[in-house]
Amino acid sequence: MDEIRFNTPTEKGKIDSLASDILKNVRINSGFLLWMGFLFTLLAACLAAYVIQLRNGLGVTGLRDFTSWGMYIANFVFFVATSLCGMLISSVLGLIGYKWVKPISRIAEIIAIAFAAVAGLVIISDMGRPDRLPYVFLFGRVQSPILWDVTVVTTYFVLSLLLWFFPMIPDLAIAKDRLEGRPKFLVKAYEILSFRWMHHEVQYRLLGQAVRILLILIIPTAFAIHTVTSWLFAVTPRTGWDSTIFGPYFISGAFVSGTAAVIIAMYFFRVNYRLEKYLNAQTFERMGRVLVLVAIVYFYFNLNEFLVPGYKLKTGDAIHLRELFTGHYALMFWGIQLLGLVIPIILLLFRQMRRPLPMLLISFFVLIGSWFKRYIIVVPAQAHPNLPIQGVPVEWVVYRPTLIETAVTVASIVLVLIIITILAKLFPVVPIWEMAEEESGKDKITQ
Amino acid sequence: MRYRAGVILCLMLLPSFAKGQDWVVPEERRGRLSTFPFNDDTRKEGERLYMINCHSCHGDPGKNNYIVLQPSPGDPATEKIQKNSDGEIFHKVSVGRGQMPSFRSVLTTEEIWKVVSYIRSFNRDYVQKVMQVITSSAYPGAVISMKLAYDEAAKLVSVMASATSETGTVPVTGAGVRLLARRYFGLMQVDEEKTTDNNGTALFAIPESLPGDTAGNISFSAQFTDEQVFGSVSKDTILNAGAVTIPVSLTAKRAMWNTVRKAPVWVILAYGLGVLAVWGFIFLVMFRLRDIFTVGTELRERLQTSPGNQEPPKNQQI
Repeated sequence: MDEIRFNTPTEKGKIDSLASDILKNVRINSGFLLWMGFLFTLLAACLAAYVIQLRNGLGVTGLRDFTSWGMYIANFVFFVATSLCGMLISSVLGLIGYKWVKPISRIAEIIAIAFAAVAGLVIISDMGRPDRLPYVFLFGRVQSPILWDVTVVTTYFVLSLLLWFFPMIPDLAIAKDRLEGRPKFLVKAYEILSFRWMHHEVQYRLLGQAVRILLILIIPTAFAIHTVTSWLFAVTPRTGWDSTIFGPYFISGAFVSGTAAVIIAMYFFRVNYRLEKYLNAQTFERMGRVLVLVAIVYFYFNLNEFLVPGYKLKTGDAIHLRELFTGHYALMFWGIQLLGLVIPIILLLFRQMRRPLPMLLISFFVLIGSWFKRYIIVVPAQAHPNLPIQGVPVEWVVYRPTLIETAVTVASIVLVLIIITILAKLFPVVPIWEMAEEESGKDKITQ
Repeated sequence: MRYRAGVILCLMLLPSFAKGQDWVVPEERRGRLSTFPFNDDTRKEGERLYMINCHSCHGDPGKNNYIVLQPSPGDPATEKIQKNSDGEIFHKVSVGRGQMPSFRSVLTTEEIWKVVSYIRSFNRDYVQKVMQVITSSAYPGAVISMKLAYDEAAKLVSVMASATSETGTVPVTGAGVRLLARRYFGLMQVDEEKTTDNNGTALFAIPESLPGDTAGNISFSAQFTDEQVFGSVSKDTILNAGAVTIPVSLTAKRAMWNTVRKAPVWVILAYGLGVLAVWGFIFLVMFRLRDIFTVGTELRERLQTSPGNQEPPKNQQI
């Protein structure tokens, strides 16, 4: 049977050893239950805050007439940004032909799915009347970037889900007979989701076509999702948002936060799932190079974004830049630029810093910096309306997120962690068949 | 030394002037008076005009609900504004300063006086001093009137001013006249200021493209420039002197700001085709799942029924 792949004894042996390494984590153990229990308790507490917001309205948040887009929208932009890692790792680097992204591509897709899925919910948390959500579809205007955003976020989520699921079908077929001691529903789910996969060459050809279409399709979609998110801001004449480079500025920023998120997840799976063999130091070293590259590109866009208005110094820009550089937001602004961008770039230029543990720490700084960066893009621009308005209450002028707002934001982050945990605990996080092919490919070359 | 101290004193005082706490009206304008007595009709009309033009900043007189601005607009019923002479209020309304706009080209002289009449109705101690010369000082005892007419062939509006007294009617000669056309947000001067000729006539050229209403009508107002001499005579007349203008609603055509049914075609196409293309491919990919399933089913059946199959099918599935 030449048409069946992985049919020789050596290949079968490879699959066996890979499957035992990778599938040992697919189980519902006490650690998983404890962690999920913790996450759900936290989620329940945070959702109680959302119930208060639902009952009393957006007045319980710090949002007022001036700053009507606060922490929620900043968080939304951060989520959309971070979800872009799926496209960068699997598609861009994969299509270029880098083989080393294979073990991490599924991790990147899981992160993309989780962040894209919750990004939609974050938008709903910003609505005073979420019951009116269907109006977006009933009365939505095709001219509005908000409708475009809803469309592309949904499309990107579906594409990420497919790009996670399709390459996993052979793995599900491999795994379904090796799930002794796992819950019945899981075995049944594997059986159904493997779509009668027989490792036949025809099936591999069909799968290859499908995956290639998805890999190409997700690139313009991912560019659209974050460009449209930037247009939510850039199509207004508001100082600080009225910029022509917002699209590429946002996309390059997304690559930074997405790469950092993948590195953090890689470290976690490497240590907790004992996958040092697959998520090895070399992969970290290469991801470190990716991070420093995208961070330098983002630094360039930052330079452009502040230098050009800073040179012309139109009245509005002058007020805005002064607030950022030396005013109310100076500490946050310089903290983000230095701790979240400049220092990580400098550190990552050294090989010693591209080892797993230093990379984890640097990525934490970059990721947290990315979150605050979205805050500094969204919030300060609204503090200075174009029309001179006087005699308004101070809480209109100075936006301060409330505890309830913070709790609802924490809920969204908890939800992301729940989705990542479920996907990474019930399904293999490293592609088994692709790694097996990779190793036999290496064998062929060495022979 | 004294000189130097004087300079320093001046410099110290300068900011307070610059800040503009005092709004000084030129001497010759302060004593200006209305040419007609204030009565209930003028107050009523003044209130209407006040509500349209002044209320948004100054609020309801006597209620202190003016908006907070720097410098403060103030409540017209208060001492701060009532202590002004009629001429001073008239001047401030017509000239404006800082955030207070000039109403010279929004309201006619008569309308500004009506607003003053309304403002004064909140001052119980106020006694109006009416300008002594209601009729012209140049034509003592005569009543001055104006007549407007439009010559379509020459595109000219003629303003004929005459003074009628017991002895008869004579043309008003040598009087400066302005012609104003009523626009959406005030009055627009048409042509230059003219002086009446020996027949008491002043001719104003009307630009061909001057928009009128749907019938081409324009409301004109003629005024003497020198009120001191000729009185505050003005004449409003509707003449068919404009170009026919049929207003087009801003939402009549396809536009970015319109409803979805009237969206620009390129937006509908770009959005629609983009979504269709991507989702078309997504469904194409989904159909691959069916194909994979079909191939798998066929293969499984073949393996199960094939007599030459030495290995059990389970092994094939790895």
